[in-house]
This record gives sequence, structure tokens and C-alpha cells, in this order.
Amino acid sequence: MSLLDETYRVAWGDLVYMKGNIIEVLLSSLVGPLLYLLAFGFGLGGSMEDPSAYVMYIVPGIIALTTLSATFSSVSMKVLVQRLFYMSFDELLLCPLHISSIIMGKALHGVVRATISCTILLLVGYLLSPQIVISPWIFVLIIVASVMFSLLGLLAGLVTSKTQNLALFSSVVVIPMTFLCGTLFDSNTLPTAAAYVIYALPLTHVSSIMRGIMLPEYSVGIDSIVIMIIYIAVLYIGCYYMIRNNKC
Amino acid sequence: MSEGLSGSEDYVKDEGAKMDNIVEVRDLVVKFGDFAAVNGISFDVREGEIFGFLGPNGAGKTTTIRTITTLQKYVSGSVVIDGHNIKNDFLEARKLIGIAQQHISLDKDLTVRQNLKHHAIMHKIPSKEVARTVEETASILNLGEFMDHKVMDLSGGWKRKASIICAIIHKPKILLLDEPTAGLDTRSRHMLWDLVRMLNSRGTTIFLTTHYIEEAESLCDRVAIIDHGKLIAIGTVEELKALVGKFAVETTWDDGKRRVEYFKDLDSAKGFSQTLDDKLYNIRRITLEDVYLELTGGDLR
Repeated sequence: MSLLDETYRVAWGDLVYMKGNIIEVLLSSLVGPLLYLLAFGFGLGGSMEDPSAYVMYIVPGIIALTTLSATFSSVSMKVLVQRLFYMSFDELLLCPLHISSIIMGKALHGVVRATISCTILLLVGYLLSPQIVISPWIFVLIIVASVMFSLLGLLAGLVTSKTQNLALFSSVVVIPMTFLCGTLFDSNTLPTAAAYVIYALPLTHVSSIMRGIMLPEYSVGIDSIVIMIIYIAVLYIGCYYMIRNNKC
Repeated sequence: MSEGLSGSEDYVKDEGAKMDNIVEVRDLVVKFGDFAAVNGISFDVREGEIFGFLGPNGAGKTTTIRTITTLQKYVSGSVVIDGHNIKNDFLEARKLIGIAQQHISLDKDLTVRQNLKHHAIMHKIPSKEVARTVEETASILNLGEFMDHKVMDLSGGWKRKASIICAIIHKPKILLLDEPTAGLDTRSRHMLWDLVRMLNSRGTTIFLTTHYIEEAESLCDRVAIIDHGKLIAIGTVEELKALVGKFAVETTWDDGKRRVEYFKDLDSAKGFSQTLDDKLYNIRRITLEDVYLELTGGDLR
């Protein structure tokens, strides 16, 4: 049985739920990014010298941001609820499934949700800024970034033992990333010390690569690709350790 | 009269090794920090039997069952499921096990049918057979009218039944039931007992934990009594009763306290009752409850 087949078997329940509640699922992952686009792109951008240039600048950032917002909270909360309240996470561990399949299966619904949401945002972004470059690499990046942030959500859902801890993690890590990682403005304008911290965060590199693909005047940095790969590996190992050692 | 029964080594001799064992547990130790929740227990579950784990709350029943199902790490010892050691062959062992946990572990956001289907898919039942398997398994309990209800909308009894049905969707050789009737009303309890008997009659070995003595007495071919993480007795209900005696003399003292003395024969019991002067007494046959209270020291936790 291949890993992909087992991954789908794990994800089946979450995907069925998502299919049955697709409007709510999409609304919850699209309202935030669309508001950012409206408030920053047209509100703040409208007062700038060249509003359309700023809208074009933030479209890749908001799509990058959506790979985080559409995955992290849904995956982490679902896993937390399935572990602590429904106890249904145990059912996965009782089935003859490889740990890698469980990890990828629980991440998959986040990836699907983010891919759909980002595709809609990409269409909206293209309507607003037809100058952006549409390339298949955008979808590769959306999927890879969604895997990374879904793994972050999975690890958070496996580690935390209370919903309050998850909310704290969200406030301390996810929300700062949302605003500071080059999604809405150039993080190089921040003080040097802050810029180092921002550079270490994964969303910075998703934004940077997304801009490199979508905007002609930007390029894709190899360092960003390497850092994303390192994040995926570390998060995967963390999830594997938690499940293998019955720490969840 | 009974003398120093608790903790006696004589009561934990398990003759199971002579039969075909589907579960073999040896010197199992499970710790939470420094606390040993399971402290060196050994026992066997024989193929085709209903085996009961009886003990007060916190005795180590759930920890043992979670360890057998690979959900709980253990410090030392071994667990072998039908020849598969769970330490290095856990994927094979899991194929043979079905478990309905003490807490309903279904996805409450999904319907009963979706939960059943998901269990079938996760247990790698071929996709062409999933729908038929779901319908067949559901028909065992006449789940029909509830199949498209969300689990969160079901009553406690139906949730429990759905949980058991999900646990048997892959036709496991052994079904583990952790406190299957805890919190259920009498009618639901008897319906579940019938279900357990029916599954057993179809060839499924049942291993259940309970703190209801009536349940162990009514359902189980053999019972193990566990307390403070140690196995203190194992055998058939009749064998366990014989450990304590045959007859009990129950006396109510002036201060209202109840006292029970155990005897090997009726004459001894009657002889003792004549020494009770004008106290109220009752001579009766020994029950499993007597054994349980005697061996666990009547400790209600």
C-alpha cells in the first residue's frame, strides 16, 4: 500500500467534512485575506502615489499569508479537538497505518483548503492586477507552503494540551508572522535586530518566493527554498516523534 | 473464615498457557513518571473466550488495555497478539484488534455511516467492498435509522453501539471493550451484553474491562481482578468464588455495620451463626462481589 494511498485513507474523514461544509470552510479562510486586500490594498494603498503598484505588491504577500491562515488554525484546532475532546485521533493510531501516512493525512485537508482559497485569491488578484505573472510554480509553492504550515498546525495540535495554549501560540507566533513577514510591506525596512528574527520565520520566505515568481522585478532566492525545506523536515520529524512515542 | 486473601500468589496462577492464547501479557510495567499504573502483570486471553478485567477505578484496567492496543508506551515486559509482539510488529498486531474505548472515540462531526466508512477505509478494506461491509456491519445492530445521524446527536447508548460497530468493521480476531456499559441505563446495558454475547458466538474473542461485578459475572468466561496495578486473582467465576469459600454469613451489628464471614461448607456457616446470639444474620452462597471486596479490601475508589 503506497504512502499516498494511506494518506488519503487518513484524510478521508476530514475531507468529507470539508466537502459537506465547503461554504463555511471557504468563507472562514477567505474573509481575512480579502479584508487585508481591501484595507491595505485600497485603503492604505489608495493614499499612495501609485496605488496599483502597491496592490500588485501585496497580492503575492496575501496569497502567501493565506497558505498560513488557511492551514494552521484549521489543522491545529481539528487535531486538538480530535485528540482531547472527540478522542478520535486514537482511532488513527489503532489502525494499521504508517506514521508518515498519519502525518501527511492530517496535513492534507489543510493543503486542500489552502489550495482552493489561494486559487480564488489568485483570480481576484489577477483581476485587480493583470500585470502579475501566472505560472504553474505558484501552485507548486502554494502546495509546499501549505504542507509546511499544516505540519506546523499538526505539531501545535499534538503538543498542546489546552485550547488556551493554542490561542497563545497563535498570538505569539502566527499573528506576528502575518504582519511582519513581508506580506504587506518590505521587512527590510524594519530595524536590523527585528529583520534577523523575521528572516528566520517561514512565512518571510514564502512571501519572498511568491513575489519572485509573480512579480518580474523580484527574484527567487535559493536561501528561501533551503530554509523552507529545513522547516518542513524539522516539523515532520517533530510530528513523527510525538506520534511514535505516544506523546500525544 | 477468610484469612489474608489479598495479594496471595496462589490466586494469580493463569493456566491460559495450556490453551490457544490470542493475547499473552508478561511482566508488563507501565509508569507515569514514578507511579507504576501497571506493575508487573502477566496473563493470557484465550481464543474464543470472553475475558473480563475487573477492578476499582484507578486499578490499571484502562492503562493495560491501552498498552495492549499500542496506544500506551510501556516500560518493560511484553505483549504478544496472536504471535505478533507489539513492540516490533505493531502494524500486524493492530490488524487483529478492534477497540471500543471508554470515551466514545468517533468523529462527532460525521454521521454514523461516515464514521463506519472511514473506519473501513482506514483498515484498508478494498474500496469495492466498503459499502457492502458498512451495511452488513450496521445490520448487526439494526443501526439503519441512525446511520445518517451525526454522532453528536445520538444518545449515550447509541453512541456506544456505533462505537462497537466501528470497532468490528474490519472483523478483528479480538475485540477490546473498555468499560462498555459505563454510564448506560439498564436497558442499554442489557442490549450491549446481548451484542457482546452475539459477537462472541460468531467467533470474536472479547476482552472487556469493567467495574460492574454483575457484568463480569454475567458475561465473562474468565475474570481477572486487578488492583493498584497488580493482578490479584484470575480464573472462572466459580474458581474465584472457591478462593473465598462457598457460603457467607452476613451479620448486622448493633452499630449498623455489616460484617461478612466466609466458610467452606454450610455446616461451618451454621455453626458460626449459632455464636451470634440475637444478632440478625443471613446465610447465603458466595457471590463474585464477595470475592471482589475480599481481594480488593473493599476499597471503593
